[in-house]
Amino acid sequence: MKEEIIISGFGGQGVLSMGKLIAYAGIADGKNVTWLPAYGAEQRGGTANVTVIVSDQKIYSPILNTCTTAILLNQPSMDRFLSRVKPGGTLIYDTYGISTPPKRDDVNIFEVNAMDTAAEMKNMRVFNMLILGGLLKINPFVKLENVEKALYKTLPARHHDSIPDNMEALRKGMEIIKEV
Amino acid sequence: MEDKRECYLMKGNEAIAHAAIRCGCDGYFGYPITPQSEVLETLSALKPWETTGMVVLQAESEVAAINMLYGGGATGKRVMTSSSSPGVALMQEGISYMAAVEIPAVIVNVQRGGPGLGTIQPGQADYLQATVGGGNGDYNTLVLAPASVQDMADFVDLAFQLAFKYRNPTIILSDGVIGQMMEQVFLPPVKPRRTEEQIWEECPWAANGHRLKQRKPNIFSSLEMEAVSMEQRNIKLQEKYELMRQTEQRSSTFMCDDVEYLFVAFGSVSRCAEEAVTILRQEGHKVGLLRAITLWPYPEKELNRILPTIKKILVCEMNSGQMINDVKLAVNCQRPVYHFGRMGGVVPSPDELVDAMKGIIFDKN
Repeated sequence: MKEEIIISGFGGQGVLSMGKLIAYAGIADGKNVTWLPAYGAEQRGGTANVTVIVSDQKIYSPILNTCTTAILLNQPSMDRFLSRVKPGGTLIYDTYGISTPPKRDDVNIFEVNAMDTAAEMKNMRVFNMLILGGLLKINPFVKLENVEKALYKTLPARHHDSIPDNMEALRKGMEIIKEV
Repeated sequence: MEDKRECYLMKGNEAIAHAAIRCGCDGYFGYPITPQSEVLETLSALKPWETTGMVVLQAESEVAAINMLYGGGATGKRVMTSSSSPGVALMQEGISYMAAVEIPAVIVNVQRGGPGLGTIQPGQADYLQATVGGGNGDYNTLVLAPASVQDMADFVDLAFQLAFKYRNPTIILSDGVIGQMMEQVFLPPVKPRRTEEQIWEECPWAANGHRLKQRKPNIFSSLEMEAVSMEQRNIKLQEKYELMRQTEQRSSTFMCDDVEYLFVAFGSVSRCAEEAVTILRQEGHKVGLLRAITLWPYPEKELNRILPTIKKILVCEMNSGQMINDVKLAVNCQRPVYHFGRMGGVVPSPDELVDAMKGIIFDKN
């Protein structure tokens, strides 16, 4: 298997950390991973993105032109990356962040109403976990228990009490993802 | 063979910091700059001064940092610095001075797009600066080009070994992709820092005290008033560089057994080229890759070894065409050599390399 994932959104939406969780969970699954951020000016209010590859083979290039899965959380990201999803690939977007819904017949498109759900849960910080839950529902390429392990690895100890909320959001995301 | 060591997920810059502590580095002196700031950040977080006794110091500038290396290296200590392109440009005077008086040290350059302040995105445009001088005078530095986070971890100790073997500054020429990306990495085994006694034994040239005239004081000065004496020092240096050329060339090949069309690349671009090779092989083209691991000395022996089956060579770099000079010199007009480059911080994708290679495969000229 080889999953090539591009995650893109506003800085602060948890784009890079979502990628990190996938990468850690991939390693716990015994896979090879690369995690390559687009950093710099893009982290200061603009669009941030990360390319994550999870594979059971050796990974050559960490840089991709196209991907098997795109998670696009704002309109600039949609405009930039929609055409880069491989035919037969998966596209997930947040309903709130997108003004022009994507049109492609050769790609499986899903939406997660993550912003509104996070607001209902009164915890905006689980936004990215709702999205990640949605992804793992339609493509369980890493085990849920390894995502939990990854949370313990990536979050500083003082935030470990928030892990149950994050796992709840992950399961909630699995419920609310809808095929478009 | 399965590796039993613990596997970590970390950035290349973080791997450099961990590796420095583990290989018994005595001192790090540096100044923050994107995209390599995690080196100093990680060292500061790990606090090696509380464990191994390694000194970590944020210098007031890159110029100060490189001169701290001159001082530390002159006492026989394992010292290193890291920076990115504009910062390394500031260090060139110090590197020339260290080369002149044969002080070992490790300098890491996590390159970004230039010239000038340029961008904070990845680049490889400091190739010529690293391989043909940068500072003044006839000198060379050993240059290692990592292409993975594992290389970042492994090359620190290698760079120190080479620096001390030849008493010469050694540069790890990385780039923003390798510095910023995370991959799994097995950290090198822990080696203790050398004791003062060991340094006294191993580095008779060091300025670390003459112990009541047990040996004559060692003095480091690159200034000679007599041209003839300076030429003698140059001759001695050139003999050393020639020995390094003969002994230290490093490279790796990928799918080169029957190769007709060869990619030559280093650093992160060599990873893209590997992907491009697999794509082109699936389409039936006999394509392979030579990855230069040492950029100086250049791996010309390996390039010439695989040359017989090769028809054309495509050099791919994140610059306007710098390593291509070394490839042309090594091949010596025996094969056509082409170039593909992106500049200023733009990272080429494997697809661009595939298209560029197809361009030369189907070009009948």
